Amino acid sequence: MSFAIALIEMLTFMIFGVFLAAVLDAFFYRRIAGRSGVSLLMPLYAAAAHLSRQRLTTEAPDRLNWFLSISGFLALGAIGLAVVPFGPQTAVIGMETSVVLWGACESLVVVLVFLHGWSPNSPLALIGAYRYVAIGLPIMLLSMFVLIAVALPAESLDLRAIVISQEGLWNVIRQPLGLPLFLLLGLSLTLRGPLDYGDSADLAGGTSIEDSGANRAGWQVARLAMLVGFSAVAASAFLGGYLGPVLPGIVWLALKTLTVMAVIIAMGHLLARMPVARMLGLIWKVLLPIAFLDLLLAGLVALP
Amino acid sequence: MTTLIAIILIFAFSILFTAALRAGVGAMSTVPIPYPQQRPILGGTDPETHAWQRFHVRYYTMTLLFVAFEMEMMFMYPWAVVFVQEGPKALAEMGMFLIILSVGIVYGWREGIFRWE
Amino acid sequence: MGMNWLAKIAGLAEVPVFVAIGEGAPSDTAISLCTNPALRSVETPRAAAILLVVGTIPDALLPQLHRLHDQLPHPRATVLWHSGNRLSEATTVGGTEDIGASLKDVHRSLLAGNFDTEPDILPDVPPNEWRGIGTHGQGGKGMMGGTPYGRPMAMTAADLRDGLELDAYTADFGPFLPMFPPGLALTLTLQGDVIQSVAVVHPPFENHENRGWVLLNLLGLPALAERMLRVSNDSDTTLRRLIHLSGARAAIPKSLGRTYDGSDVRARFDQMTGISEHAMNAHVHQTGLDDLLIGLEWHEAMLVLNSFDTAPLRTICANTSDPEPDEKMEGGMDHGAHAGHMS
Repeated sequence: MSFAIALIEMLTFMIFGVFLAAVLDAFFYRRIAGRSGVSLLMPLYAAAAHLSRQRLTTEAPDRLNWFLSISGFLALGAIGLAVVPFGPQTAVIGMETSVVLWGACESLVVVLVFLHGWSPNSPLALIGAYRYVAIGLPIMLLSMFVLIAVALPAESLDLRAIVISQEGLWNVIRQPLGLPLFLLLGLSLTLRGPLDYGDSADLAGGTSIEDSGANRAGWQVARLAMLVGFSAVAASAFLGGYLGPVLPGIVWLALKTLTVMAVIIAMGHLLARMPVARMLGLIWKVLLPIAFLDLLLAGLVALP
Repeated sequence: MTTLIAIILIFAFSILFTAALRAGVGAMSTVPIPYPQQRPILGGTDPETHAWQRFHVRYYTMTLLFVAFEMEMMFMYPWAVVFVQEGPKALAEMGMFLIILSVGIVYGWREGIFRWE
Repeated sequence: MGMNWLAKIAGLAEVPVFVAIGEGAPSDTAISLCTNPALRSVETPRAAAILLVVGTIPDALLPQLHRLHDQLPHPRATVLWHSGNRLSEATTVGGTEDIGASLKDVHRSLLAGNFDTEPDILPDVPPNEWRGIGTHGQGGKGMMGGTPYGRPMAMTAADLRDGLELDAYTADFGPFLPMFPPGLALTLTLQGDVIQSVAVVHPPFENHENRGWVLLNLLGLPALAERMLRVSNDSDTTLRRLIHLSGARAAIPKSLGRTYDGSDVRARFDQMTGISEHAMNAHVHQTGLDDLLIGLEWHEAMLVLNSFDTAPLRTICANTSDPEPDEKMEGGMDHGAHAGHMS
């Protein structure tokens, strides 16, 4: 029974999270662009506008993969939220190696974004797909080093144990290099800002160039769902998840997830995207050594 | 077991949600799409060939190094769980592994695998 | 019925509009479209409900406009603004009317079903019927012997950077892409995402707006691009500080798109976004697009294209020499003998 309750909690969290993510996105965009105000219902109107239009295909597309890429992306975001503990032993997916499951989700995102760009049989979408893989793969390495570092003091790959290990001190303080690197992964997974090589503006929308109607609405919802799932994982791994003094655990988790979402959305709108070759060099030559350093420091601190 | 059920349920929900978005909503959803509307976006011109091609994957050599690092990640999963028990010996082992792979990064750097070709 | 409430809610949203800019578009088009809260300019026609044609599209580019029009999803409408074109069933908006209100009206009528969605301009025929040399369609050049139904696959050619012989994709990238200067149409041969050859099909229209905001958009900063359009004077310190903090200047590779007078994209970016005051006229007398774009990756090529003001860009296009014709066809046919696996 508690499984069913956890599932319903997760679904509610996801729905509110997706809605709030859309509102935050619009809010930050307008603040930075110098426009005034945002109506809370704008995302719903925009979604209705998408759904009121026709869903088009192209000449000789890959229909199955087009559908699977959108629904799979949504599912991976939901799995990210499912491994996050809402309370001491309450997680929809409670397994001893949930960090490994999250790692599998990260790699499948690369596959699905590629399929999304492959399916329409359109040149600019294909370029977006291939470019994304070049960056998505090494970013995954960064994130796994950082998550292993977080797992060291917990002596476990279980996200529940990782949260419990932060009862004394949050990981963002004792492993300061971890969260900034992990946020880069968030930008890449949700196709935002400096790591948006899949859906970029210089390709007129990249992998989403041929999406219309229900496909477009589905892909945008999936991106937001991935943002919610990723932020919940980041909040649990670095900010102590449901730990907190007065309020119930799930409220703390929601607040921390919202904070991480806001930071990622703000970074997406404020940081520039460099051409892909430079970013590739930057990741391998600068960011990966920083990840090694983070692991080394975490190891030294964790030793008794 | 509940893990597997949860994952299957999540995928099922997502597939149903995406299918529901497509079904019925949206004007003219059952009308067959004519050829002019199916043309891929090139800014107004007609493409001559299919977009699917033997695309030059310029980062292929980088992915070989990436696979090496993936294998190291596989090693790190159990290493992380027993690290505190094993003590400084474990740190030294992982350090050696990482140094060997870092030599791989430096070699690749000099060979130009991080360039876009 | 279900459609009514959906149509009502959809009518409250910002109108998604794809903008096709023609000749004689007023130079503050971008500013007026972006500051108007009723509409949102989208980057692909598939996301748009209304095709907004600003300025007059010349006859040479009318076929492209028709193809673009047919790519929008139903229900769709066309609105002509400041334009001398006449498309059947399109709404014409005069120069002095409020474009936002007109677009909202058109959108609401479309959704409510009062307006019929516009039918295709082009006939519904597949791009190629099967065609060969002989009377029964047999024979022909290349790996496939004749032109297959639908479209053929791309042929191989050697790559510029490392000589690998994979498929080279040649297509005309048209005038109505948001990341191309208005009116510019190029024939590009791509090997992967690196440009192998370039030819100009149509030069960009004359136009005097500052396109620094396009550069910011290409660098992944659409919010800053909009801020730049909204700010009336160049001395908005918040904008300067945000551009500085975003690392936009550092993100542009050094000495990208270097012309013979020594300016590169970074220098032109500084000038366009008002960071550097010194107004230089880019001397582009001997530079052509083939000097600038060949061998560049797509993102870098888009940055280079948009870093020029329109007048220098027109000179550059005039300086571009056409690549040798049918050089690629030769290469494709040599491989016809030992192909077999391609069909």
